[in-house]
Amino acid sequence: MKKLLFLAIALRILVSIFIFHPDIKTYNFQSSFLKKGVFNIYNYLVENKKNLPLKDDFVYFPLTYFALGGYQAAVAPLVGSGFDSWLADAGTNSTVGNPHIFKYLLALKLPYLVLDIAIAFLLMLFFENEKDKKKAFVYWLFNPFTIVLIYVYSNVDIFPVILTLLGFLQIKKQKMFPAAFLLGLASGFKLYPLLFIPFLFLTGRNLKEKILLAATPLVTFVLIVLPFVSPAFIQSALVSGLTTGIFTSEFTTLGLSLLFFYALLMDKHINLFNYWVFVFLIVFSFTLFHIQWLLWLAPFLVILAVKKPNLSSLIFLFSLAAVVIPLLYQDRFMTISLFRIYSTWFDNLPTPFSVITKFYDTDNLRSVVHSFLAGGSLVMMFKVFKQDFVEGKNS
Amino acid sequence: MKKLIWFTTVSILFLVFVVPAILALGIKLIPGEDQPGYDPNFRLSIYWTRVVKQQFVSKDSNLSAIATSIRNPNLKNKEEIVFTLFDSEMHKIRETIINGENVEDGNFTKFYFDTIPDSKDKTYFFTLSSLNAGPEETIEVFYSDNMPDWIVQFTYDENEKKGGLPIVLYYKPESSVVVIKDIYSSLFSRLLFPNYQKP
Repeated sequence: MKKLLFLAIALRILVSIFIFHPDIKTYNFQSSFLKKGVFNIYNYLVENKKNLPLKDDFVYFPLTYFALGGYQAAVAPLVGSGFDSWLADAGTNSTVGNPHIFKYLLALKLPYLVLDIAIAFLLMLFFENEKDKKKAFVYWLFNPFTIVLIYVYSNVDIFPVILTLLGFLQIKKQKMFPAAFLLGLASGFKLYPLLFIPFLFLTGRNLKEKILLAATPLVTFVLIVLPFVSPAFIQSALVSGLTTGIFTSEFTTLGLSLLFFYALLMDKHINLFNYWVFVFLIVFSFTLFHIQWLLWLAPFLVILAVKKPNLSSLIFLFSLAAVVIPLLYQDRFMTISLFRIYSTWFDNLPTPFSVITKFYDTDNLRSVVHSFLAGGSLVMMFKVFKQDFVEGKNS
Repeated sequence: MKKLIWFTTVSILFLVFVVPAILALGIKLIPGEDQPGYDPNFRLSIYWTRVVKQQFVSKDSNLSAIATSIRNPNLKNKEEIVFTLFDSEMHKIRETIINGENVEDGNFTKFYFDTIPDSKDKTYFFTLSSLNAGPEETIEVFYSDNMPDWIVQFTYDENEKKGGLPIVLYYKPESSVVVIKDIYSSLFSRLLFPNYQKP
């Protein structure tokens, strides 16, 4: 186990220092204002936009700002004096040419590494026997998808992901209110856990408990964001594409509605774990998703793969399709430009989108892969429902 | 599980150490230096007989393309944009014609031509013109008198001035192996010796 852990960490460090997505610099530049005493980052960025080298809005929710800003304050003495000026550097070439970039990237991705390893150990708690525990540990640490999602695309969503996982550990122990609170806390980083409120509502034993279960994450979320509510916050975070993007597809809304009404009217033994997985399978099947979103589901798919080994190959195949879809956007930073630390000469290369377009319509190819993912995911959902129904009947 | 561990380990090592080398095989041209900075308010209009002439020194051999930022306001210019390269004696040595239709406003536009093998340390001139374009179909290039010394001087409207257009020169590499070697040696030098700067 120790050797495996050492190997897993070594692989993650390699990816962390050599591959660079500029988002990590942008949101860490914004979070660096916490050290200077800025509390409301949304208003601050709007009011000072003219004087700032990077002019993007802060699109995340407040806990992301405090988590990253707090971490930066803690490691400030270790990273050196040039760190803040590197974060503020708007030059695309000088950023990757900075001689300390390896150290800076390692410092910025270190919290992800800690949470990533913590998730591996948390996943083991979902299982009773040693074999399954080890399987979950290995599936999490040794699948290429999560390494790419977390360290290549600098995925700050790992903060809410670990909280949702902790929430499901509480659900496993039948502690519903701590679970609902943890989902609310996770939504203080990213809004997506609130999608699950209707299903939490259904698990209440009576109307009062149903209402309390649904209200707990919502109230937690409201308390977190309340001090920041302003036009700047609403524009930057609450109605940004990152938040509302899920509902751009009518099929997603239809799929989620179908799932909810199935749970309400037909499912007598609601298994929240399955519904959590299905909610996001539906989202990824019908929405033009950001690659970072895939992490929301990743640890839960590991649990599913261990619980239902007959699905593990399918899960691997669908994960591959899901990761490929965003790589087919015309966005250099999804592919070629990730390697700009090696050389800015790569700027002269065409993107996969441009290369494929010479032979075939890339948008169409992406639709084909997306349809494959959607079809496969829906059948897998049906299979899980059916298996659980038969198992429930037999027991 | 062993298979998965091997698969992931090999995949990640492949991503970090091999993929950049594969990408490097696709590099056909290497930029000489980064594009110099310029003030977007200083522009020269090019149409009819209003032509810009730029003098520069190629710092390397195998000069194969020259690029600069070009404005094409409202994409109105749909005429030929002619790039002509001259040697130091003003003998025409290369000509490249593109269509304004393909130049989006503010595009960093490359003019490719047959490689000049012995270009190292030689002085060249180029002109940029769009003779069929009227004043409504003007394209614009940026200029500055604060340029690196290899961007020597430019002529516009019969006036000669120091500096010129923010251009980037592109050179054909000797071979892909040399490109890969350059990329990795630079990367590992920077990793091992933080004060190392790419030459």
